[in-house]
Amino acid sequence: MRVWDGLSSNSRIFFDALTSEPPIAYMTENQNLSRALVTRLDDLSAITLFDKTSVADIRLGHPVPFPAKSPTSLDLSSYPHVTLSSNHTIAARLLVGADGLNSPVRSFAGIPTRGWDYDRHGVVATLKLSRGTGHSSENPQRVTAYQRFLPSGPIAFLALPGDYATLVWTTTPPQAMRLKALSAEDFVAMVNAAFRLDVVDLDYMFTLDSGQVGELEWRESVQSSKKADVDGEIPQRVASVQEGSVASFPLRLRHASTYTTNRVALIGDAAHTIHPLAGQGLNMGLADSRSLASAVEDAVRHGADIGNEIGCLDRYNGEMWMRNNRMLGAVDKLHWLYSAKSGPVVGLRGLGLRTVDALSPLKGWFMRQAGAS
Amino acid sequence: MAIRPTMARSLSSLLGIPGQYRLSSQSSSVNAAEVSHFNNLASTWWDPHGSSRLLHQMNPLRHDFVASCIESQPDPTSSNHRRYLDVGCGGGIFAESAARLPWTERVVGIDPSSQVISVAKAHARQDPLFLEPGRLEYQNKAVEDLPVPRIPEEQFDIVSLFEVIEHINRPAPFLSSCLPFVKPGGWLILSTIARTWTSWLTTKFVAEEVVRLVPRGTHDWSKYVNEQELRKFFRAQDGWGRDGGLKSQGCMYVPAVGWRTVPGGEKLGNYFFGVRKDPKR
Repeated sequence: MRVWDGLSSNSRIFFDALTSEPPIAYMTENQNLSRALVTRLDDLSAITLFDKTSVADIRLGHPVPFPAKSPTSLDLSSYPHVTLSSNHTIAARLLVGADGLNSPVRSFAGIPTRGWDYDRHGVVATLKLSRGTGHSSENPQRVTAYQRFLPSGPIAFLALPGDYATLVWTTTPPQAMRLKALSAEDFVAMVNAAFRLDVVDLDYMFTLDSGQVGELEWRESVQSSKKADVDGEIPQRVASVQEGSVASFPLRLRHASTYTTNRVALIGDAAHTIHPLAGQGLNMGLADSRSLASAVEDAVRHGADIGNEIGCLDRYNGEMWMRNNRMLGAVDKLHWLYSAKSGPVVGLRGLGLRTVDALSPLKGWFMRQAGAS
Repeated sequence: MAIRPTMARSLSSLLGIPGQYRLSSQSSSVNAAEVSHFNNLASTWWDPHGSSRLLHQMNPLRHDFVASCIESQPDPTSSNHRRYLDVGCGGGIFAESAARLPWTERVVGIDPSSQVISVAKAHARQDPLFLEPGRLEYQNKAVEDLPVPRIPEEQFDIVSLFEVIEHINRPAPFLSSCLPFVKPGGWLILSTIARTWTSWLTTKFVAEEVVRLVPRGTHDWSKYVNEQELRKFFRAQDGWGRDGGLKSQGCMYVPAVGWRTVPGGEKLGNYFFGVRKDPKR
């Protein structure tokens, strides 16, 4: 992993896993992950999967008068009843909301969130490279990730198998609009420029409706040093962008005030939405799932109702809420740190990167945080 | 200032208490004042933030202790179709969880407070599993009111008395009434609080007066029973606790952490106690 600052270009940090160490992180495309999960679900006999179905409604069961007319009748008034577009209704002992930023489960449970919008958009795209990828010659499974901090936000380039790479470019909403409106060739030129040119050059190129290809060519021809291109300090040149792969989404910080209420648990983006600059969103969601699964397992072993807060869910909330809150806070500070365009903070953050680079144990700690959340 | 009278009462009983008088007395187990106290608590029994929160949090430890007793002496006659009798079941915290376990055949919960039994019955309707006939049954009775079993098929693998004997007037006859319900090779399991300086400080003074973790009057320190007293009682019983079939385990509530087992804690405060009815030779 190579990280550098767009405003003080001598501040670089290389997170290179030694060959004896496990990799920092694994990159996988969403569809591979989804396929693995679906395959696993197929192996489990007790799972019913509702495919191509959406949630139409969530509400509590009918209230039952107390004392009940029939003392042996079932009382599901505390169970969330989920009605599907296929007209099935499921009464859930435990309803897990893994339903994203605008979680309907969270709304049903009445759990408020705190947070703010970053006034930034994440532009994503799948890129085809001109030659090779970041694969090292000794171990083709090992690839290099690149991230450059620009004042509008970081641009990150993560190699995928084959000659492909995925792009995550955090930038202002007007710049994101401009990127999406460019022709494929000009978009590719902007990506190449963002890893190579100075911030002033890049800012100027954003003001053009078209013609970025020519701009890049001219500006590179007058710059003296192209050394970085040779020794792999910056990513390979992008040849083309996969058609239809350019998309953008608004960046937000959100944190649910709690992850659990009676018979409800929130995980992943339904519980927390994070700035993508440290690549922690998926990792946090996976850690949520692991923690909740282990709380459920423990509850089952002790005969507890898995929808009960004391018997099961409190443990998940206690284990993950504070931990995620710290991660959200740390990544938020990083965003503000790298949004600064001038002043002492630019010098200090360059010093910070160089210091971390020089101190191996500290660097190791950062690598573990980035990889194994 | 309001705490003064309670402190004075407890201190006097601390200094003046005769060691074994309660274990040798001879009348009914149910205390009317205790029943009325728990009648008043009934509605909050299942409130996750109510006064029974500590009992809910203790429940996994109860199962761990039961499991450790059974595992200490594996008995093929009580493995996969376990029957539980939960005496003083309250709102059903332990009874429900026992009835959910895959090896459980039947759970009977009894309690002298009619209000807590109706709370327990109403709460059990929230789980479809408990609609299976015989899986979980509640009766508003004291143990003395149950018919004494005559054959092993009517007896239980586990007879549990969790946080019960400290609310009983005369523990010895009460325990004696429970013994016939245990199957040969089965266990009588209880949890209670030792009568010590630390338990007075934690359960009476801190829990009821300072932080109000439990309602005032929940505990009567002078009724607490020490582990040594229980050991003495069961050594005097013929056919109990042979070959290591007698275990105890201290535990402690750590604020912001929860219940933890404490080696030797049975001499300090809360503890579990298990004794096995000798199997037939």
